[in-house]
Amino acid sequence: MIVLTRLSVWASLVGLLFTTWILMAAKKQEPMPTPIEPPPTSPYATTVAASGIIEAENENVRIAPPAAGLITKVFVKVGDQVDLDAPLLQLDDRELRAQLAVRQAAIAPAEARIEEQRNRLEDLQVQYKRLQAVHDRRAVSEDDVKRTWYAMEANQRVLVRNEADLIQAVAQRDETKILLERLTVRAPRSGTVLQVNVRAGEYATPGAAEALLLLGETHRLQVRADVDEVNAPLVQAGNPGVAYLKGSTKQAIPLTFARIEPYIVPKKSLTGDNTERVDTRVLQIIYHFARPPFPVYAGQQVDVFIKRDGGAATPPPAQEPGKAP
Amino acid sequence: MNYVALKMLFGDRAKYLMLLCGLTFCVMLIVQQGSIFWGLMIWSESGISNLNVQIWVTDPNISQVAEVKPIAPTTVERVRSVPGVEWAVPLYRGVGRARLANGEYHQITLMGLDASTLIGRPAHMEEGRIEDLRTPDAVVVDQWAVERMGGPEVIKVGTIFEINDRKARIVGIAHVQKDFQNIPSVYATFERATAYAPPERRLLSYVLAKARDNEPVEAVTERIAEQTGLGAFTQEEFGWKTIVWVLKNTGIGINFGTTILLGFIVGMAIAGQTFYLFTVENLKQFGALKAMGASTFALARMIILQAFTVGIIGFGIGIGLATLFGTLAASKGQLPFSETWPLLWIVFGSLLAICTFSASISIIKLAKLEPAIVFR
Repeated sequence: MIVLTRLSVWASLVGLLFTTWILMAAKKQEPMPTPIEPPPTSPYATTVAASGIIEAENENVRIAPPAAGLITKVFVKVGDQVDLDAPLLQLDDRELRAQLAVRQAAIAPAEARIEEQRNRLEDLQVQYKRLQAVHDRRAVSEDDVKRTWYAMEANQRVLVRNEADLIQAVAQRDETKILLERLTVRAPRSGTVLQVNVRAGEYATPGAAEALLLLGETHRLQVRADVDEVNAPLVQAGNPGVAYLKGSTKQAIPLTFARIEPYIVPKKSLTGDNTERVDTRVLQIIYHFARPPFPVYAGQQVDVFIKRDGGAATPPPAQEPGKAP
Repeated sequence: MNYVALKMLFGDRAKYLMLLCGLTFCVMLIVQQGSIFWGLMIWSESGISNLNVQIWVTDPNISQVAEVKPIAPTTVERVRSVPGVEWAVPLYRGVGRARLANGEYHQITLMGLDASTLIGRPAHMEEGRIEDLRTPDAVVVDQWAVERMGGPEVIKVGTIFEINDRKARIVGIAHVQKDFQNIPSVYATFERATAYAPPERRLLSYVLAKARDNEPVEAVTERIAEQTGLGAFTQEEFGWKTIVWVLKNTGIGINFGTTILLGFIVGMAIAGQTFYLFTVENLKQFGALKAMGASTFALARMIILQAFTVGIIGFGIGIGLATLFGTLAASKGQLPFSETWPLLWIVFGSLLAICTFSASISIIKLAKLEPAIVFR
């Protein structure tokens, strides 16, 4: 064969084989590396997904002070079980105590004045009786009798006023007492102290962003699932769901439907940043669940999948919410 | 007849070598330029291929992977609600400024991966473990960050630096495909990346998803797009979108296209001219063959055999040289070079076109040939 005698033919063959070898050995697109944890997947054929948060079944109570003031004592610590009306916090009450002493002291003089007035009145009553008892009308002047009567009547009125003064003084003392009681913040219901955000010596103002104490019932927990309002029509009341804790998708928590919150609220971004970003609005659905064998905590984030029957209800082609003016 | 044809071809050593050189360099030029071009395109879509996930969901008007338009945070759940989606996780992608202890600063691409699954993570780690991303202030940088931000002495596991004025600690070095713009990537968890990111109303850049195994990916992306009103793309679609954007918005396509076209034209000119001269010089022999009774068709077959023989030999040497260049120059990933089978087939096709073109000139000449020329 004439072809095989040429060097160039061999060079060409070498080039072809070399290229083939290099290209064959070249890295192929590898499959995606397996996720560290399996990502949460829906166990249902059709689903409505939501992000949820675990919370105490009857909503947490954010304890607030009745008035601005210095906190002198915190009676509870995190985790304490408290009963109804158990004292939680003591606000500074020195001012009211001082006032109470003054008002308490004002009662005794008022009582004394009544006593004094009674005596005076009795004296006048005796005088008047004596004047009336005289048989001979000429022995006493008519003027004396009239004067004594008027004096007696006037003192009678003074006594009434003094008695009213006493009632007022007592009422003023009671007011201070009630105000004093108010400075001891008590548990509005029994529960567990979930958070204590205040220490003795700090100044509490009503309406602060952070609650002084967070009181909740952690024996029974529930899941509050946020569904984007665009997907709200897909939610079928009564359908069960599952929840996966963030970062552990192996164990599903079965959920039973409790209720749908009738009012749609703006979703808060849970990025941990302190500037709260309000973005889309969400429909909130409440789910009950039995405590799983593994620990769950109030405030934990979960991925929720809610069962959706059939593919019947599809949402309208949604406009990107961002485009709305 | 074939033997005669090949004898004629190889007999004239000088002309044969010239023909061969012309075709070889033409092939080599096209393959080498085409590979560099394709390598650049692969770099440009590295932002997608490095993550290696099936479906990308984001704003429908997105033009390419680096031009992020943040979407609403509930989009993850909305994508999960679409039938046929197996899973969906968030991804943050943004630009940040890294400041090193020595005062140097560099622009970086900040990637925030879903904390529990770390979907989208680099497939290979040169050092460290990707799971350590979950520790406080942890980030993973790619090997290009090591190269660009001061070498292995400065950037190593344990280095502490700042991203947008917040502390970051390197826990690993990943091995990924280089980026077109050569901006190093820094990987963190989604939550940490959004903490590094400048405050914005929305911080979700992409939703990464996978279709259920029994569903075709295209059907699922279509369904996502229809039900959420967002843009859903498969990895390939999004890669092409990015490549098309690069071609439209940079001069790369025109530059390389011109070079490849020049290679094609020069190859065609050299081969055509030489081959024509070759035929003209051998006219007497062809005339004798014709006088002996060979048909024009038989002669044309001879010519085509000659042309294709030299063409195929040139092709082999050409791609061999180009591959050699590629493996020597681009072995460390510093140079974009990606030789692919489709490119080789295209080059082979164009080479056959060049050969056919040069052969046809000669065949026309032969068709008009009078056998009497032998006696002149």
